[in-house]
Amino acid sequence: MAASLASKWSRVGRSFLGGLDHKLSGFLSTSHEACSNSFSQQRSTFIQMRTVLKVVDNSGAKKVMCIQALKGKKGARLGDTIVASVKEAHPNGKVKKGKVVYGVVVRAAMQRGRCDGSEVKFDDNVVVLVDKQGQPIGTRVFGPIPHELRKKKHVKILTLAKHIA
Amino acid sequence: MRIEKCWFCSSTVYPGHGIQFVRNDAKIFRFCRSKCHKNFKMKRNPRKVKWTKAYRRLHGKDMTQDSTFEFERKRNRPERYDRNLTENTLKAIKTIDKVRSRREAKHIETRKKGKKAQLMREAVKELEQSISLVKAPSVLKEDKSYTLPKIKVKVSQAEAKNQPMEE
Repeated sequence: MAASLASKWSRVGRSFLGGLDHKLSGFLSTSHEACSNSFSQQRSTFIQMRTVLKVVDNSGAKKVMCIQALKGKKGARLGDTIVASVKEAHPNGKVKKGKVVYGVVVRAAMQRGRCDGSEVKFDDNVVVLVDKQGQPIGTRVFGPIPHELRKKKHVKILTLAKHIA
Repeated sequence: MRIEKCWFCSSTVYPGHGIQFVRNDAKIFRFCRSKCHKNFKMKRNPRKVKWTKAYRRLHGKDMTQDSTFEFERKRNRPERYDRNLTENTLKAIKTIDKVRSRREAKHIETRKKGKKAQLMREAVKELEQSISLVKAPSVLKEDKSYTLPKIKVKVSQAEAKNQPMEE
């Protein structure tokens, strides 16, 4: 099973940019260990092309696939904006399936260093849809939001947040 | 700035150390080092892992109730800065720490105290039962004590003289 998975990942790696190859090979090496023990620990990485993220506001979209990480050669991290395509949406919402949208990553499984030296990580990769100017499309956001967004000038999202981590 | 406690092992996490994991229900888990973090990811219960403070407190190995713990309670209200207060607090922290560690050591000492009598009893029993391993039964009949007979070894003078030369 490990071998077949490894071959699938290597195929995926070849079809995309060569620059991403070293990261995917990193995935391969960790996946070998992951398949051997029952608790598969995938190491969290950047949010790059083809990353599926959950949408955590009430804009109408449910799942979104990253097309481009603006800023960052390796990919987007917590607090960065991405260009994404809506893959799954609520039937009557502001955004429809197939639309190309911008989003702000509000929770990332990859740890982000804080200015006091500690690191934060969340449980999943989650995004809040915004327009080109950076204003959120939805009117509510769910779940904890890190205060890293304040530095990135996404204050509007922070005001909508119920809980600031 | 705040000195946190590791969720797994209950040790202090100073600023700049450790990882903070925020779960989707907004519960924050702080870990002092990757050892605790990895154990958490393995879904281990700290109350069952022997080296954590949670286990030790639960199983009575460490002191649980003491008035010195009251000083360390988390206070969410920030105090207005007062130099005297800060100075006194710093002094107090030192003395309270000393008192607490002294009491904890005493607790562990009293916990370990009863072992000596038990060890003595075990030794006596072993001596009674297995004396035949070291002392022949015929010798035991003549000399009923549990002490071994003294054996005298003769060392010739010539050998003693040779040894330093060989070295």
